[in-house]
Amino acid sequence: MTSPPRAPGRGGPRPSAGHPPRGTGHAPARFAASEGAADRHVRYVDRRGAGRPPTRPGRSPRPARLGSPRRRLRVAALGLLAFLLVIAGRLTQLQGLQAASYAHAAELQRRQTTTLPAVRGSVTDRAGAVLATDVDASAVYADPFAIADKARTADLLAPLLRVPAAQLVPKMTGSGRFVYLVRGLDPAVGAKINALVVKDALPGIGVLPERRRLYPSGTLASNILGFTHFGDLDQIVGGGGIESMYDTLLRGVDGTRTLEADSAGHAIPSAQQKEKDAVPGSDVRLTLDRDIQWSAQTAITQAVKQTAADTGTVVVMEPGTGNILAMADAPGFDPNNVAAANPDDMSNLATSTPYEPGSVNKIITMAAAINRGLVTPSTPVTVPPVLRVGSRTFHDAEVHGTEHLTVAGVLAESSNIGTVEIAQKLGSPALARALHAFGLGSLTGVHFPGESSGVLPAESTWNQAQATTIPFGQGMSATALQMASVYATIANGGVRVTPRLVAATIAPDGTVDPTPPSAGTRVVTAATATTVSRMLEQVTSAGGTAPLASISGYRVAGKTGTANRVDPTCGCYRGYVASFVGFAPADHPKVVVEVVLDNPKQGHFGGDIAAPVFSKIMSFALASEGAAPSGSRSPRMVLNLDTGR
Amino acid sequence: MTGPDALRSSPVVLRGRFEQGRGRAVQRHSVPRRLDWLLLVAVAVLTVVGLLLVWSATRPQELTAGGDPRAFLKKDLINLAVGLVLGCAVAAVDYRILRAYAPFVYLVSLLALMAVLVVGTTINGAHSWILLPAGFQLQPSEFAKVALIVSLAVILGAKHDDQRSGVRVTPGDRDVLAALALAVVPMGLIMLQPDFGTVMVFVFVILGMLAVSGAPSRWVVGLIICGVLFGGAILQFHMLKPYQEARLTEFVKSNRNTTSTGYNVDQAMTAIANGGFTGRGLFHGQQTQGQFVPEQQTDFVFSVAGEELGYVGAGGIILLLGVVMWRALSIAADAGEPFGTLIATGVVCWFAFQSFVNIGMTLGIMPVTGLPLPFVSYGGSAMFANMMGVGLLQNVRLRSRTDPHAL
Repeated sequence: MTSPPRAPGRGGPRPSAGHPPRGTGHAPARFAASEGAADRHVRYVDRRGAGRPPTRPGRSPRPARLGSPRRRLRVAALGLLAFLLVIAGRLTQLQGLQAASYAHAAELQRRQTTTLPAVRGSVTDRAGAVLATDVDASAVYADPFAIADKARTADLLAPLLRVPAAQLVPKMTGSGRFVYLVRGLDPAVGAKINALVVKDALPGIGVLPERRRLYPSGTLASNILGFTHFGDLDQIVGGGGIESMYDTLLRGVDGTRTLEADSAGHAIPSAQQKEKDAVPGSDVRLTLDRDIQWSAQTAITQAVKQTAADTGTVVVMEPGTGNILAMADAPGFDPNNVAAANPDDMSNLATSTPYEPGSVNKIITMAAAINRGLVTPSTPVTVPPVLRVGSRTFHDAEVHGTEHLTVAGVLAESSNIGTVEIAQKLGSPALARALHAFGLGSLTGVHFPGESSGVLPAESTWNQAQATTIPFGQGMSATALQMASVYATIANGGVRVTPRLVAATIAPDGTVDPTPPSAGTRVVTAATATTVSRMLEQVTSAGGTAPLASISGYRVAGKTGTANRVDPTCGCYRGYVASFVGFAPADHPKVVVEVVLDNPKQGHFGGDIAAPVFSKIMSFALASEGAAPSGSRSPRMVLNLDTGR
Repeated sequence: MTGPDALRSSPVVLRGRFEQGRGRAVQRHSVPRRLDWLLLVAVAVLTVVGLLLVWSATRPQELTAGGDPRAFLKKDLINLAVGLVLGCAVAAVDYRILRAYAPFVYLVSLLALMAVLVVGTTINGAHSWILLPAGFQLQPSEFAKVALIVSLAVILGAKHDDQRSGVRVTPGDRDVLAALALAVVPMGLIMLQPDFGTVMVFVFVILGMLAVSGAPSRWVVGLIICGVLFGGAILQFHMLKPYQEARLTEFVKSNRNTTSTGYNVDQAMTAIANGGFTGRGLFHGQQTQGQFVPEQQTDFVFSVAGEELGYVGAGGIILLLGVVMWRALSIAADAGEPFGTLIATGVVCWFAFQSFVNIGMTLGIMPVTGLPLPFVSYGGSAMFANMMGVGLLQNVRLRSRTDPHAL
């Protein structure tokens, strides 16, 4: 090691023919070091320095802090090795020691449970005609973040969605990542848009399959069916009427699909899937008859228009079973487009909105008095022009002198004063019991959502005025359905049955679960009922208040009502409620129809404006039910002892 | 020193030819025999594995989009073909001749870096790409790595006049300053993109080349201290954009999922852990096929290896990268003259830094920087530059005065 540098040419054989000196001892401090000539990597240095004597021969110099490339390369190699080991160690830790917890987290992240929406059950009329059903639909959504050109996207979508572009743009401008543009689209439209989406022509727009509630008959029976809306997790939820009443049953049980999905939510094809099928909802079969409902709805809508009434209500019932054949409101709404509906039009007036019934209520006073044997239809009643009770005076609808009527005449001519006189014979407690027995003041048992029980003050709280007015149906209120039920009770021979709206529910497997008909409770004797029924036939006779209610070929029993209307805006009486309720054929009652017009401005007598509507609907219902014409004429009763008719 | 072993293993003929002059002996051995085959095999395996991983990583997204599931594979193959041509070209020309072209190469790289600032496209926050037709992109900063290594090697490896001893081969203060000045310009341009990761590659390459060039230790130590202080200052005074700072500091935090960067790393680690020992199999990694790891074909490609090839495959990649570094270091050590040594050193530093930072960030122990994994990640410019790097290594090996077969 102390030999002077040699030129490579004469350096003799190199150690191991060029093996780099791995030992540290050979490492020179610098390239130019003169010793260690055998160290081959400094040969080129040696060559240059050949012949020149080393500055300080014989000593290993440690000159100015110049690094040795060779040593530094070795340090670098060690450094790199260390790094390699660290990374390999970390890999071992991650894949070996922590693998289980990470793998579990990964699986949880991938696993996606999607809801398989159950098909919502249908609602049908009594014959199975579909009134509400579930159909496939498409929803179009936007990811505002991903939409590049909002105006262009809106212009492309507008004709397909049938929504003006100007309405779409604001929806695409939100800050969220998901917003529905239109829901419940026809699947064909959805497919068209999806084709554009797949072609990448509509970045930020997507189409989702969904289900939609379809009411094929539009506004028909919408007051009964109710409507639906999208609830939590986009489930279709009933929002009123039958849809709300039978929501759980209609809805069924959603299924689930558990699958492994990628970061964008797409299923990973190779991964396993688990599926739990949805259980479809049950169908609900109503007691309604679609045709009668249509007839009732058309007639009342037309009448409301003609009389400029605020609202109109019709109830059509089968007296024996309590089955509601129709229950119509005007104005109505289209449950297919709830957003456009006026919320005031969405309730079922026949159950939700009580009114002061007026004269139609007199039948209860009469029936109770006759049932107790206090009067008969021919019992004379002296009716003065005015009746003073306490400080109040009561008039009849028409001014008259002192009349001598029969009980039947009091009802046929709808004399308030005469009715009060009969009620005074009866006494308030007996009248109150009768009112309750006929179902007033309590829910009908039809269990319709939002049903009102009407207002019937407890007899103990009646003051003199109430005791006077309640017999002719003022100072208390009842719903149209309650009133229809009163007349159905008379028609049914004095037995009250609970009104029935739902005939049966039908499970997805076809099992029919019928709603049991009510047993019925006797309110008055059959004889009383028949007597009252005959008296009611006088109403539609020429001498009664409602000859317009008559139907040729059929005996019609019924009663007009022309009540003072409580105006909720002032809490006072203002305007009228005109009504007619009755049944036919009077000899074998098959159908009860009630017509109520609230606040009509073109005419206000029930006999003038409600009776014709009754006649129209009843004619249709009788034909529809196949009721045979009455073989007999209505028996005549003496109504007015003065005239002898 | 003059043992009989030497005689036995070094034929007289060779010695005789060798003595005739420099460069002559090289021809004694054919080019294929002098190539570093181990390096080539390691690079080839890494590249093929990379192709498969990129294919697997991009297949689901292409399928979802209704595109060609092999689109990335095809582009990668084209990139590879171009890269091979470039690599062979770089290896063919005697690297010592490159010395003459170094200024030209350097200036072209500067022009390209300036061009990208003008006509470049921003991807993932960095204005680093020039878009070319047919969906290809050019990333000048990748080529700048090659240019910088060659240029620095020229300056630091030149014969230097020394007043005292006449000639010496280690750079002095003036050479170091010149080298730093040379490096600062492209680094500044890249910082403007901004591409912090590539700047860090440059810093590491400079440090490594300075150290191996034999430059005075005070420069090496001083530069490290400066770097540390500068880095500290940058974080202290929030001189980086918030997302850059988040990337750098995120990996020391325990609750990563609060930011998008943390999400990336968490997903990458989850995918790797999901691979287990033997992996889920190519195209069967649930996390990979589910595209949970963003940028899984480029910066986070190691997560694909981890999940689909498992510990065996991912460890194999680390091992192969180790082989590449070992061979490159050997080439540096055996180059026989400083220019070659420095070129090889620069390439090692480049490959090593990118490998460690890339794998490190995927494993959650390094900050997130947008550095690709050499030979494996998808990326045309990176592929070209990497192949040129390998070409440089083979070039140095081919012209090294050491008989490789004696090793």
